[in-house]
Amino acid sequence: MADGETPLLDELEKGPWPSYVKEIKRMASKNAASKDLLGIQELSYKDKVTHWKHGGIVGVTGYGAGVIGRYTDMPDKFPNAAAFHTLRINQPAGWFYNTKSLRTICDIWEKYGSGMTNFHGSTGDIILLGTTTENLQPCFDALTDAGFDLGGSGSALRTISGCVGKARCEWSSIDTLDIIYNLTMEFQDEIHRPRWPYKFKIKTSGCPNDCSAAIARADFTIIGTWKDGLRIDQEKVREYVDKGMDINGLIVNKCPTYALEWDGKSRELKFYEDDCVRCMHCINKMPKAIRPGVDTGATILIGGKAPIIKGAYLSWVLIPFMKMEPPYDEVKDLLRKIWDWWDENGRTRERLAELIERVGLKTFLKEIGLKPVPQMVYKPRANPYVFLK
Amino acid sequence: MAEVTEELKQKVIDYLKTVTKAKNKEVAREIGEDKHLVDKAIAELGKEGKIEYLYLGASFIKLKE
Ligand code: HEM
Ligand code: HEM
Ligand code: SF4
Ligand code: SF4
Repeated sequence: MADGETPLLDELEKGPWPSYVKEIKRMASKNAASKDLLGIQELSYKDKVTHWKHGGIVGVTGYGAGVIGRYTDMPDKFPNAAAFHTLRINQPAGWFYNTKSLRTICDIWEKYGSGMTNFHGSTGDIILLGTTTENLQPCFDALTDAGFDLGGSGSALRTISGCVGKARCEWSSIDTLDIIYNLTMEFQDEIHRPRWPYKFKIKTSGCPNDCSAAIARADFTIIGTWKDGLRIDQEKVREYVDKGMDINGLIVNKCPTYALEWDGKSRELKFYEDDCVRCMHCINKMPKAIRPGVDTGATILIGGKAPIIKGAYLSWVLIPFMKMEPPYDEVKDLLRKIWDWWDENGRTRERLAELIERVGLKTFLKEIGLKPVPQMVYKPRANPYVFLK
Repeated sequence: MAEVTEELKQKVIDYLKTVTKAKNKEVAREIGEDKHLVDKAIAELGKEGKIEYLYLGASFIKLKE
């Protein structure tokens, strides 16, 4: 294989979809680290073994999180990518930027790093891919001068994220962006200075549609909901029906708890508030006719995670309804209680859900001072992955 | 809540001299001090650049060399 040729990686450029190989190649013409990155990747495919190592000392002064350290095990062959660290930058809630701030980030990253970015990582952060150990501190200094900060990594509170909420979505029952911002400012130490058994994630969605998949992706899940009944505009319901909507087939019979009934004679959609579990289905189907209630707050769920030590979990209900108004003291108190208990009792690399499973939900509730309620189903569905046959 | 003292920070440093790495809760247990206070002391030592963080599958702290 001639120097710089990448026959195996080239396979990943074939086909109609975007390819990260194409993007790295574009950078490789400008940046030596990216060129060596291609070399390491090609060799890993050829040898069928990874040529990367994880870990070590990661961070800039005062921080133990936000830098993900990566080294190659072949530094002699690939000196320009001997270290290829990634910075996680705390994204603004809702991922709103102006062009100036985007240019600022890119200029800093072209100066100190590979120039390659990922907007955004699975954590929600801006991901700046690939720099050297020496450049970490000056890059961080330049970023903080420009008003940015690192996000979470390691055994820390991860960068808090959630759906776009009230900024753009009419269904949002809580101000997800304000919650994210407020909790982020409150828990700076927890984000930057890892001290727990393992990672901890908080995510929030404005309504049960859960566009940020907070149920599957967070140890602590905040989902907007409401206490009163749906707001139904009967005139608009009739409009849908007159335009041919199969109201029984698509809505009434699809309501998971049979809380709706279509009276064909009076042409009225009857609603049994006590039976409604606020799943959003009828609202999604008839957005002009049905809206969430007005007595809003959140359901708090705990324990979602991907499989590492044990299998994957979806979060399950801890508190069926909590008011969500600044300064969010109730949520903060609850978080602190949970962290204290988990930190004291958790084994290294044991997530909250795994600890609860080990010692039992009863013990957990007793320790954090909550009474069991029927909504605390433990746990509705253990495997969030759908396998297509 | 009590404040972090120089004495407490020194106790943390002295303990870290005896180990290669530790978690905050081990430090608190070994030196027999309140966990919340030790967390604060360690955060301050971090900001002062006296300790650093290590990642080996999970995060630990150690004295800066
Ligand atoms: C077999 C090899 C690998 C495995 C099993 C693995 C596994 C993982 C896992 C589980 C996460 C998510 C961690 C979290 O939730 O914080 C992650 C994130 C990450 N890994 Fe790896 N990894 C591997 C190789 C690599 C390599 C070779 C690199 C870079 C050279 C790398 C860079 C990263 C980065 C930058 C993230 C953060 C991504 C984001 O936040 O979107 N990983 N990896
Ligand atoms: C045949 C042409 C197009 C197709 C098939 C198409 C398809 C799509 C799809 C499937 C989405 C995702 C929607 C979702 O998240 O549910 C989307 C989003 C979007 N498209 Fe297009 N699109 C087209 C043309 C355009 C054009 C011409 C523009 C701008 C001039 C545009 C701007 C956008 C924007 C801004 C979004 C993101 C909206 C959001 O996040 O809320 N698209 N498009
Ligand atoms: S989760 Fe609900 S509130 Fe948030 S963006 Fe999705 S539909 Fe809107
Ligand atoms: S929100 Fe869901 S549970 Fe409630 S009435 Fe509509 S479909 Fe039924």
